[in-house]
Amino acid sequence: MADSGVAPIVDPLDDAAAHWAARYRDVLLDGLSLSPPSRAATPALHPALRWARSGMMSLCGDVDRPPQMCAAPLAAVADGALAALASIASPSRFADLDAAALLAERALLTGLRRAGRQSAGGACRLLTCADGLIALSLARDDDWSLLPAWLEDDVHDWAGVEVALRRRDRVPLVARGRELGLAVAASEPAPQRIAPWCRIVAGRAWRPLAETVRAPLVVDLSSLWAGPLSSHLLQRAGARVIKVESVTRPDGARRGSPAFFDLLNAGKQSAAFDLSCPTGRAQLRQLLRHADIVIEASRPRALQQMGIDAEALLVEQPGLSWISISGYGRAWPQAQWIGYGDDAAVAAGASDLQQRAGGSAIFIGDALADPLTGLHAAYAAWASHLAGGGRLLELSLVGVVRHALAFARPHDDAQLRRRQQRWTARVSAEDIRTATPRQAVQAAPVLGADTAAVMAEFGLPC
Amino acid sequence: MATALKPGSRFKSAVCDTQVMVVKAPAGEHELCCGGVAMLAPTASGEGALDANFASGTLIGKRYVNEDESLELLCTKGGQGSLSLGATPLDVKQAKQLPSSD
Repeated sequence: MADSGVAPIVDPLDDAAAHWAARYRDVLLDGLSLSPPSRAATPALHPALRWARSGMMSLCGDVDRPPQMCAAPLAAVADGALAALASIASPSRFADLDAAALLAERALLTGLRRAGRQSAGGACRLLTCADGLIALSLARDDDWSLLPAWLEDDVHDWAGVEVALRRRDRVPLVARGRELGLAVAASEPAPQRIAPWCRIVAGRAWRPLAETVRAPLVVDLSSLWAGPLSSHLLQRAGARVIKVESVTRPDGARRGSPAFFDLLNAGKQSAAFDLSCPTGRAQLRQLLRHADIVIEASRPRALQQMGIDAEALLVEQPGLSWISISGYGRAWPQAQWIGYGDDAAVAAGASDLQQRAGGSAIFIGDALADPLTGLHAAYAAWASHLAGGGRLLELSLVGVVRHALAFARPHDDAQLRRRQQRWTARVSAEDIRTATPRQAVQAAPVLGADTAAVMAEFGLPC
Repeated sequence: MATALKPGSRFKSAVCDTQVMVVKAPAGEHELCCGGVAMLAPTASGEGALDANFASGTLIGKRYVNEDESLELLCTKGGQGSLSLGATPLDVKQAKQLPSSD
C-alpha cells in the first residue's frame, strides 16, 4: 500500500535521466510492497520528448497559440504505470503498447484540439470566480437545467455562467454545485509530496504475489474511459472481461466515437440487464458471485440502491478484488461528488501547476484523469488478484492525478519554471507533429450481444 | 401554505428528514408538501404528523417531478415522507442519461 509518504526520488532538474518512467514504475511496485522477479523495461526517451511525440503536447495550449510543454513528467507516469502492470503480468503482452500514446488516443481518433480554458472534448471549462478558477463540466444535457438552481439566476449558457461567477467566491459555489450533482471543482495547487493513489477500503493488506493464478474473470460495470481502459488492459494481461451495462442506461460512450469505443471494448463480452427491475438486479448480483475482479465507477449509493454492497460481497467471496473508481473517493461526503477526467485533473492541480511553470492555466491533454486512472486501476486490480484477492480498493481520479503531479515535483516555482524552459527547448516542431493513434482490430460487441450466453453459462435467473 | 417556488430555493419537511432544492418550478404560488404536510423554509419551524398516504419516502440525489415536469425538485436529504404538490404525488424522474464523453 502506498500509505507511507515516499520521499521525492528524482532530482527535479535532472535532464539527463532516461529513467523517469522506471522510477515511477518502482514507486508503484514498492508502494504496494510487490517484488516481481523482474521489472518490465521502460522507454528510454526523455519524458519531454515522449510527451511531445505522443500527441499530448499539441493538446496543451491556448487556441491559435503554440502548444505548451507540461512541467510534470506525465508521459513517464503513464509509461511507468504500464511497466508496473507489465512487470507483474506478462511483459510480452504489453510490448507493443505505447502508454504515453494512450493519454492522447481519444483526441487523436476524434480530431479534438487544444482549446486553452476549454477542454479538448468541449464539455468542461475553466471559469473565473472572484477568488480564483473553477472547472465545470456540463457533460449531460440535463446538467444545463441545473444552472438556474445552482446560480439562483436565469442562466442557460456559458456566457451567462461566466457573468454570474465573476463576483462570487468558489467555496459556496462548489459546495452548492456538488449538492446539485454538478461536476464542479476549484482549481487547486498540486501537492508537494506524494500521497497514496490507492486505498484498501476493506479486506486484506497487500501480501506477496502468487507465481501463477488462473486467468481472472473481470466483470466491468464502468463506462466512458477510465474503467473500460483498465479492463481493456486486464484483457491484454490475460483476463476474460464481461462488460455489463444497463439496458436502459448503456455506456454513454456507445454514442460517441465508434473508433474509440471499439478500441477500448473490442474482445470483451457484452451483457445487458434491465437494472431498473428486480430481475435484472438479481441477474447482476448472481453474475458478480463468479467475478474475480469487479471494475466499477459509480457512486457507492447507486449500487447500494440496487441492493449491491461491495463490502458484503467481499465477505462472501474471499478471493474477490473490487476496484472502485470514483471522482474523489468513497469517504463521506466526497463519495457524493461527481468528477470527470477534465475537472478532476484541475482539482488535482494540473492547471495550477501549468501556470506556476510559466504556462497558462489551461487543460492538460484530453480528460487527463481518465486514462491515468485507467492505467493505475489495471495495475491495482491485477496486483490484488495475484496477491490472493480479498480487497475493496479505492482509486479516485483526483487522487491518481495528484500522485502523478507530485512525482518528482520541484519544490519551488523557480525550479518548476526552469524545468519547463529546459524541457521546452528539448523538443522541436518535428517532435510535436501529430502522432498516429492505434486502431481497434475488431468492432466492440453490440449492447447485450452475449447476454444469453452469459446467462446460460452462469445460470442466471430469467 | 402556498408559496412561490424559485429555482435554487430550499425547503425542508415538517414531519421527516427530507430536504429539497427547487430545480425548476412553474410561476405562481404552490403548496409543496412532504409526508402530506406543507414544507417549510430551511429556518422555519413547524410540526405535524406524517400522513400514511404520503409515506413512501424520498431518496437523496433523486429528482422528483410533477406529471408535466414543469416542477422539478432535487432531494438533498432523504426521509420517510413522500413529496406532493398539494395532494398530487410527485414521481421520481428517470435517471440522467450517461454522457457520451467527458
